[in-house]
Amino acid sequence: MRRLILRRLVSAVPTLLAVVILSFVLMKLAPGGPFDGERALDPATQAALARAYGLDLPLHEQIWRYLSRLAVGDFGPSLVYRDFSVTDLVRQGLPVSLTLGALALAVALVLGIGAGLLAASRAGRPLDHALMLAMTLLTALPSFVTGPLLALVFALWAGWLPVSGWGDGDAAHLVLPVIALALPVAGAIAKLARAGLATTLAQDHVRTARARGLAPITVLVRHALRPALVPVASYLGPAAAGLLTGAVVIETVFALPGLGSYFVQGALNRDYPLVLGVVTLYAGLILLFNLLADLIYGWLDPRIRG
Amino acid sequence: MFTRLPIILLALILLAATLGPWALPWRHDVIDWSAVRVPPGSPGHWLGTDAVGRDLLARALAGTRITLLVAAAAAIVSLIFGVAWGAIAGWRGGKVDEVMMRIVDGLYALPFMFVVILLMVLFGRSILLVFLGIGAVEWLTMARVVRGQVLALRERPFVLAAEAAGAPPITIILRHLLPNLAGIAIAYLLLTIPQVVMIESFLSFLGLGVQEPATSLGILVKEGADDMDIAPHALLLPGGILVAILVSLTLLGERLRDRFA
Repeated sequence: MRRLILRRLVSAVPTLLAVVILSFVLMKLAPGGPFDGERALDPATQAALARAYGLDLPLHEQIWRYLSRLAVGDFGPSLVYRDFSVTDLVRQGLPVSLTLGALALAVALVLGIGAGLLAASRAGRPLDHALMLAMTLLTALPSFVTGPLLALVFALWAGWLPVSGWGDGDAAHLVLPVIALALPVAGAIAKLARAGLATTLAQDHVRTARARGLAPITVLVRHALRPALVPVASYLGPAAAGLLTGAVVIETVFALPGLGSYFVQGALNRDYPLVLGVVTLYAGLILLFNLLADLIYGWLDPRIRG
Repeated sequence: MFTRLPIILLALILLAATLGPWALPWRHDVIDWSAVRVPPGSPGHWLGTDAVGRDLLARALAGTRITLLVAAAAAIVSLIFGVAWGAIAGWRGGKVDEVMMRIVDGLYALPFMFVVILLMVLFGRSILLVFLGIGAVEWLTMARVVRGQVLALRERPFVLAAEAAGAPPITIILRHLLPNLAGIAIAYLLLTIPQVVMIESFLSFLGLGVQEPATSLGILVKEGADDMDIAPHALLLPGGILVAILVSLTLLGERLRDRFA
């Protein structure tokens, strides 16, 4: 197991470095710069600005400076949110995004595994087919459609919940965004759990448990569930990527002050340091989540602990 | 039922998106100053107009057309790239295979959406870049699937026979492998298209994809969501078309995949 983690870490670092360096080089290749305004600046000012931000250095030295600052958590200044560094924005936005993402993941796991179990316990019956069709529909529904639809029905028409906003993080404001974010992931998890259960339920140890006269629910939960969750665990990495991406759009839909909404504003306003910083951070988070998924994987399936 | 219904739905949407612009009296970007924000059922505007007096039905159909065009183009890019990559890796095997698949694994770990957004930010927002960007990131699954198939196929007697008869690799790949790959490749192509539609709409929704005056379903969902307290149908129409496309293609793709896998 320790070898596996080590190997994953060793392969994660170059991936992250590649993302940062590639993004940085692309940024330099892009036409236009942060100081291009309506009027051309005089050469002396241009040179002074370039020197102040280190833009006159050779490319590899600029990359090195960026990386060494990143290493101490300094993402550089934001070009659009004046007076804020990208690090400030990350510090403000990340807790909101992580709260949203963690809650959505929890909801997706509960819903997905629950639906998978229910479908497996009624394997081949109408409920199984109906549930799996519903889960396919969920995976096909984009959160930027379900989000506004949920807001329309439950907030505007029914008036049960607030339409948008953060409201200092109180539960009512979180319900709709979390559900909208969780639904597609829940669908994918349910399908994986159902498929996993189909395999494990056909295995010998499950047949033995059944033959000993254990209640079907005990067999399902105690004997079949854990190995069946292995494919779900391997999906956690992609799920994290999906949740982070989905959070970008959900934060925009529900006007939440998360990292995603800063990212979109930065992208629309060509705020390079902000966009680059968020991409780097998200890449790091996704790699971290892949690692975490491997750990859970090893815990679920002792055979792969090397 | 779950095969026929999606096909009929998709055919109807395709037909409407293709013929619609000629059948309707209004273009998607023309403003009717005499009918700003009229409700559905108004004369001349069957489904009403938006906040600046543009015909909603015309916009929905024009948006569907752009969305489907971008999706088709990006899916074909990913098909060609993915099949070529997977076929070469699977056929050559050994070191080449290992390196090529390691690259695919590495790319899989990237936060794609953010890389595509980064590209949009850096190189301006154009439809061409949208589909190149999406096509470039959507070929990975295809490459994996095709590689797996090629690995299995190359040990089959008819391929071994062709090899023993001295057929050059290109002939073997084109004559013997590709026809056997077609089924599974089409299944994954059908599953790639909804992914692409989703990414394109996602980007357009955020204002980073297709740009006005052109429109796409993502833009229309965004406009509808901004206006949903007054005119919910402006959200429901493009949202409904989008969902119908995504669900139909996913159902068909999964059906086909289960048949070939």
